[in-house]
Amino acid sequence: MSETLCPRCSSTGAIEDYQGREDNIVVWTIYRCVTCCFSWRDSEPASTIGAGVRSADFAVDAGNLDRYPKILQQ
Amino acid sequence: MNDLANKARGISSLRDFLELLEGEGQAITWSERVLPEPDLRNVAVAASRDANGAPAILFDNIAGYPGKRTVVGVHGSWDNIALLLGRPKGTTIRELFFEIAGRWGDAEAQISYVPEGQAPVHECRVESGINLYDILPVYRINEYDGGFFMGKASVASRDPEDPDNFGKQNVGIYRLQVQGPDSFSLMTIPSHDMGRQIMAAERNGLPLKIAVMLGNHPGLAVFAATPIGYEESEYAYASAMMGAPIRLTKSGNGVDILADSEIVIEAEMQLGERVLEGPFGEFPGSYSGVRKAPIFKVTAVSHRRDPIFENIYIGRGWTEHDTLIGLHTSAPIYAQLRKDFPEVTAVNALYQHGLTGIISVKNRMAGFAKTVALRALSTPHGVMYLKNLIMVDADVDPFDLNQVMWALSTRTRADDIIVLPNMPAVPIDPSAVVPGKGHRLIIDATSYLRPDPIGEAHLVSPPTGPDIDALSKAIRLLQQGVAK
Ligand SMILES: [Zn+2]
Repeated sequence: MSETLCPRCSSTGAIEDYQGREDNIVVWTIYRCVTCCFSWRDSEPASTIGAGVRSADFAVDAGNLDRYPKILQQ
Repeated sequence: MNDLANKARGISSLRDFLELLEGEGQAITWSERVLPEPDLRNVAVAASRDANGAPAILFDNIAGYPGKRTVVGVHGSWDNIALLLGRPKGTTIRELFFEIAGRWGDAEAQISYVPEGQAPVHECRVESGINLYDILPVYRINEYDGGFFMGKASVASRDPEDPDNFGKQNVGIYRLQVQGPDSFSLMTIPSHDMGRQIMAAERNGLPLKIAVMLGNHPGLAVFAATPIGYEESEYAYASAMMGAPIRLTKSGNGVDILADSEIVIEAEMQLGERVLEGPFGEFPGSYSGVRKAPIFKVTAVSHRRDPIFENIYIGRGWTEHDTLIGLHTSAPIYAQLRKDFPEVTAVNALYQHGLTGIISVKNRMAGFAKTVALRALSTPHGVMYLKNLIMVDADVDPFDLNQVMWALSTRTRADDIIVLPNMPAVPIDPSAVVPGKGHRLIIDATSYLRPDPIGEAHLVSPPTGPDIDALSKAIRLLQQGVAK
């Protein structure tokens, strides 16, 4: 388990999906939260990935994922 | 046939169209280094300010994505749409509307098949160690999107219950969110073709294989977004409307795809599984919520050498989404209304996918426009989308908002308004009472006819018609320093 914190739901355990490289130097890294499925790049502006800077309106409640409806239910 | 029309009919791929656009000053290359966020979004939004003349913008120097290219704004202005239809830059929206309405239902489809080994889309093939980020220079389209989206993907699939039927093959634009190196989620609703196919596959335990086409023939994006009958092929329809042949080939998983697309992702749905999807900044200019959506596993990717990833900026308008689908939202409503009411003279449903529409009609009798409005609400698109309707007389051009405002100012009485409460609504309309249910508004801004006792004022009759249209264009050319 990685200690990387998800900017959206504050869970740990994010997976590293990709590193953007130029001349073999890492320019940025893309992470994905296994709890809320948020994907982000560590080079993004703080308004998107900064804890405390991101709008709370877009937080996901990791403790209550049942509140998000499932589409295409039979 | 003139040169531009011939050129338009000669387009068989995104690359062909970009070359045509560049020759007309309607495509530019952005070679200054950009960050995926927020630079790509910022440039796309700045371009969207010019709905009439914005160029397509190709980025070829994106930090962390060396050698990769992405393009936005291919359908981002009326001038680009005009060139796609074989008409010159500066063609009015009204003329473009009648260009499309005139092509409705009278042309033949020309479909040809290219063997897989000769199809440009299969030039490069990835079947193992798939990482979508290796191929797609994706970026966050709006700052609170839940991830990296493919916003302009045409998804092809066969009906899981009738996989050999060409006509029941579906091609539609659905938003796709990358969910890790070899997975993505797909958002749809039960009434869309893909929604029906997903539900049928899950109900019967049948596999659902799809092919996601990115960077396509520019006619497909326009026509795959048009609501047509379930058993009509979008490929045949796009070919007929373009008056040009369309080249198909097979994907590795047996789906008919465009032979000249830049990138095709082959994938299979994971039956019954859902992942969190969204938010995504949508066409009403607001974010969708977070929902649990079906997930697809990528099985292979084909692409042309040095592929171009085509994407779109969508959000609070005006955006490329509006020029991409506006006229093809308006034209079917017009064609469907004209079947019953030949008095309808034009339909402008450009605004937010038809959430507001303006219809011009020759009033047959007092109150007739209201009858036509109610019919419009029962057209396939009207059922969900036409929320606010403004009815104007045939002497008002619904594409000229100054004229529409004149009709509202001089021909509307407050009791000529109808509110239909608690009707079906698009779930992402933020003004809905609850998602999926809201009110409809009809404003009758047509003039008074008997038995209405008020009567029409004596109108000024300024000169109109083709001579005046030609004079307007001559003034614009003189203003631009071009000789007549
Ligand atoms: Zn999270």
